[in-house]
Amino acid sequence: MKKSFAVFWKRNLAFAKLAIVSNLEYRLNYFVDVIVQPVLTTGIEILLWFAVFKGANVQTINGFGREYYLSYALWAAFFARIATSWMYEFRMIEEISSGTINSLIVRPMSFYEYYLSQLLGYKFITTIISLIIPLIAAHYFNLPTIYSRVPLAVVLCFYYLILVHTISFLVCCVAFHLTKISSFTVAKNLLFWILMGELFPLDLTPEPYKSILLKLPFAGGVFLPVGYITNRIGLNEMITGFISVTISLVVLNALASVLWKKSLATYAGTGA
Amino acid sequence: MDAYANIITMSIVIETHDLSREYKTYQKPEGVMNSLRGIFKREYNSKIALDKTTLTIESGKIIGLVGANGAGKTTLLKILSGLVTPTSGDARVLGFKPWERNYEFLRQISILLGQKNQLWWDISPVDSYALLARIYDLDVTAARKKVNDLAEMLQCAHVLNTQLRRLSLGERMKMEIIGALLHDPKILFLDEPTIGLDIVAQENIRNFLANYVKEKEPTVILTSHYMDDIATLADRLLLISKGNIVYQGTVDEFVLNSNSELAQDEKVDFEEVIRRFLETESRIR
Repeated sequence: MKKSFAVFWKRNLAFAKLAIVSNLEYRLNYFVDVIVQPVLTTGIEILLWFAVFKGANVQTINGFGREYYLSYALWAAFFARIATSWMYEFRMIEEISSGTINSLIVRPMSFYEYYLSQLLGYKFITTIISLIIPLIAAHYFNLPTIYSRVPLAVVLCFYYLILVHTISFLVCCVAFHLTKISSFTVAKNLLFWILMGELFPLDLTPEPYKSILLKLPFAGGVFLPVGYITNRIGLNEMITGFISVTISLVVLNALASVLWKKSLATYAGTGA
Repeated sequence: MDAYANIITMSIVIETHDLSREYKTYQKPEGVMNSLRGIFKREYNSKIALDKTTLTIESGKIIGLVGANGAGKTTLLKILSGLVTPTSGDARVLGFKPWERNYEFLRQISILLGQKNQLWWDISPVDSYALLARIYDLDVTAARKKVNDLAEMLQCAHVLNTQLRRLSLGERMKMEIIGALLHDPKILFLDEPTIGLDIVAQENIRNFLANYVKEKEPTVILTSHYMDDIATLADRLLLISKGNIVYQGTVDEFVLNSNSELAQDEKVDFEEVIRRFLETESRIR
């Protein structure tokens, strides 16, 4: 048992390193990914809140002033980048439709762990650099941020990322039957964009939608971590977030396990 | 079970019984209107790629699996390696049902698909091998030594640190072979390992495989459209036509018995004998 865990751990660490090595092979792409893209996204979302406050001509919205929303926009852009996996989901789907998956399923490892560890490795190597942007911006513009809360917020977001990966894995099960399903990924990500609270804080939505949205696991991607850092929510809501993600992980992993077996049984071993 | 029967049982590494696989494919008639109709109603054709195949393969043998395009050889290879689940029938490879993909089974086999990359495209082969060592739980130092030894034998040590996508087809195939052999598989599935290579590269790989098999004695299932590969390497021949095994036996027996007239004609080589045999079988079926 002890040995098999050690083997599992070393293997997955190697997958994470694979993602790091692969990304660092293309240096310019890496720096655009970790610096230019987050700066642009943050800029757009901050401008949006500037426009909202100027257009509405108010001092506060829902009890929070402009600086709180600017801080929310700044951190939401950062966390949303961690909490999405469109790139790896596209890659997983492509592996199935092109038959490249052949080289993976004949090795003693699972497709799920192979991509999860790579995803975590990739997010780790991009997050440690991208984190510099909101930290510097929050400090320079003196935006409301509780720095001591950042580590727990990042942990919840990475935990939520495992759920995101499980959903990607479920989408891949469909890919065995329908081959081309990248439109699923785009539609799903648009929905998650709203449900995670990247576009606007979820507590701005009217009841009963607000209560429902806050109970869904998707809040764990952006709203809860950012709300925690910017003092919109407390530790209790964070714990609820961890529980919600855990329940979803158990249910969706059980479903994914059954679907994966059924899907592989129909797989025709595409190509070659 | 007596001792003799036990020895016989022990030496069988692959056993199949009435193994079949059927594929369903969407039929799309020409034109935009038919594409629109296809949104609501689609017609599918069934094709039997492998039809009730029963065979046994002993350990340490090199089996040449030969057939025309679409004859079912790759389907058989994919079922035996665990890539594809059969529609019906049963198979045991090293005592395992391949499509259950038991890790213990997967650690003992290797499949090399000549038309598909198995290594990682964006990193160097040495990084790929380090990853494979982790996947197969190998001793990292021993794996590194093995890579160097195999690279020396294949004369490709100078490209081990070059990103895979920047290598030539021949160099890439050598890298793939090293990757496939790194964990000393007991069964090696080789699907057209020399496809697309020039004559010199084909011969190098053929010689390397012959030496490797002599030394390590794995069971090898080899498919190739180059009959030189089969004639040089194979101990036994499996001829497949339209999903059916139409010949099982040694290469020499086949040449002597299946068509003795052709075999005695010095102008007709091994490739020609097989081609004519398969053409005849194809017409019968």
